[in-house]
Amino acid sequence: MLANFITKHKFNLSGLVLILPFVFFYQSLTPEFPPMWDKRVLGPFEVTIMPYNLDQPYSHHGVNVKDFMLFFNQDQVQTIRQAYVNIGSSALPVSEFHKFHEGILHGSRHGKEVHALAPEVITKQDQLWLTIENWQGETFLTSWPIPDSITQ
Amino acid sequence: MAKPNYKLWFKLHGYCSLPIWIIFCFVCITGTIAVVSHELTWLTNPNSRASNPEQLSAKPTAELVQIVESAYPTADINSVLAFESYLVNAVIFTDKDHPFAIAYVNQYTGEIQEVNNGITFINFMRSLHSWLLFPWHVNFSVGYYLVCFMALVMMGALVTGLVIYKKFWRSFLTPTLRFHQGKKTFITDLHKLSGVWSLWFLLLMSLTGLWYLVQAIYWHMDIEIEPEVPSVAIAKVTENNQAPAPEVTLQQAIDIVKQKHASFEPTYVMLPEHHRDSYKIMGRGDHVFYDEYAYSLAVDPGTGEVVHELTPENMNTLQTIAHIADPIHFGYIGGLWTKILWFFCGILISGMSITGFLIWNSRQKKVAQRVKTQINDEDTNLEGLNHVS
Repeated sequence: MLANFITKHKFNLSGLVLILPFVFFYQSLTPEFPPMWDKRVLGPFEVTIMPYNLDQPYSHHGVNVKDFMLFFNQDQVQTIRQAYVNIGSSALPVSEFHKFHEGILHGSRHGKEVHALAPEVITKQDQLWLTIENWQGETFLTSWPIPDSITQ
Repeated sequence: MAKPNYKLWFKLHGYCSLPIWIIFCFVCITGTIAVVSHELTWLTNPNSRASNPEQLSAKPTAELVQIVESAYPTADINSVLAFESYLVNAVIFTDKDHPFAIAYVNQYTGEIQEVNNGITFINFMRSLHSWLLFPWHVNFSVGYYLVCFMALVMMGALVTGLVIYKKFWRSFLTPTLRFHQGKKTFITDLHKLSGVWSLWFLLLMSLTGLWYLVQAIYWHMDIEIEPEVPSVAIAKVTENNQAPAPEVTLQQAIDIVKQKHASFEPTYVMLPEHHRDSYKIMGRGDHVFYDEYAYSLAVDPGTGEVVHELTPENMNTLQTIAHIADPIHFGYIGGLWTKILWFFCGILISGMSITGFLIWNSRQKKVAQRVKTQINDEDTNLEGLNHVS
């Protein structure tokens, strides 16, 4: 019975793939993101951070990066001259970040994002480091432990 | 010269298209709609129309940005897109209550005609056609590969079709479409006629489709086709802890590009996203075959220096192909008239996948009927033999 059905409709079966665009369209309208990490206060800045997914870093222009969204207290975000994120055992100096296009916070006042510089594989020993410099040249640093859902 | 094995080529023709005929048909139909998606938007959404009853000249891009900033004082403008002259410009911004918004600004009157918070019909159709809305995993999408694979299938069907259709060129001189000799004859004639008359179109679609496949592999392998725009020097620290105003305004940056390229018209302008970023200004020039982003320049907001410049004059082969593929694939190479031609050819090849399947189906029915008759005959003969014995 089933074999007969499959034989009869063998060239129509691939059409079932077209159910997927409807599923993906629904998913795009109702996106789900990993939970936000704890809020950190560094100087005048209050920051929360959220990874876009729980995947390991990917290669972008030959550099390993992982994407995050950052939310700041609105009134202070305008005072950021430059801010950078990296994942590793320590924070990279700002001069090191200047060698890359990635790692710098970008976006609007309403939401910043970053392609954080990262090792090929994130381990339990790594932390996420956020370095902010304001327009007066003061530097602020904070870090988050990486949740087990991301580390290997 | 040895005669081709027509039976084998016929089978190959079927293998190329039949197993995926529904997906192929869907990709063709969505592509056909995508070709005229700008015009459908104009027809269905009055807010998208750039009406210009007083025949005013278009306002500069920087002025459109100012108009949106005045209407939404807390907004941060991200980019500005210009389309055909009969469509509004799109000013993309974020705001307190808009994580992503598109302001439809009439470039002649300066009126904000709509603020769209989500998906546009144009982007939806492009995404549906190009990757079937499959998710992107950073630099690849299974759907994008699946659609690109259709280029191989199309090329295979085209070559095998030309082999099995003996003297196909006669269809150009004496096109035949027999209406009164049964459904099967009509469908077969229609399939062959559509195929011959859309030969050039099938070839263009498969070649550009093969390019998209190559491009997908480049993206997936993280091999850059176009160089990254370099970062610029950051402005000096300030006493008031606020960012200084940029030395070069957006309009000045666009004027710098226009000074270098007299025929330049901006189509996509991105404002700096951080303080080491530049104005990224893309547009079209007087090169007929190139897309609307053929000129891509970056201007340092601190110095006015052009820090990146990619134009048809300095593009390498891959970059040139990347910038001529879209106008050929989506038919906007010659404006509205080529879009209309592409739309009709799109309908032809969408129909060919259906007629191809119907031809195969009627053959299957015929074979099944023949087998049934044969079995009945054998049964009758056996019964006859039993009676005799």
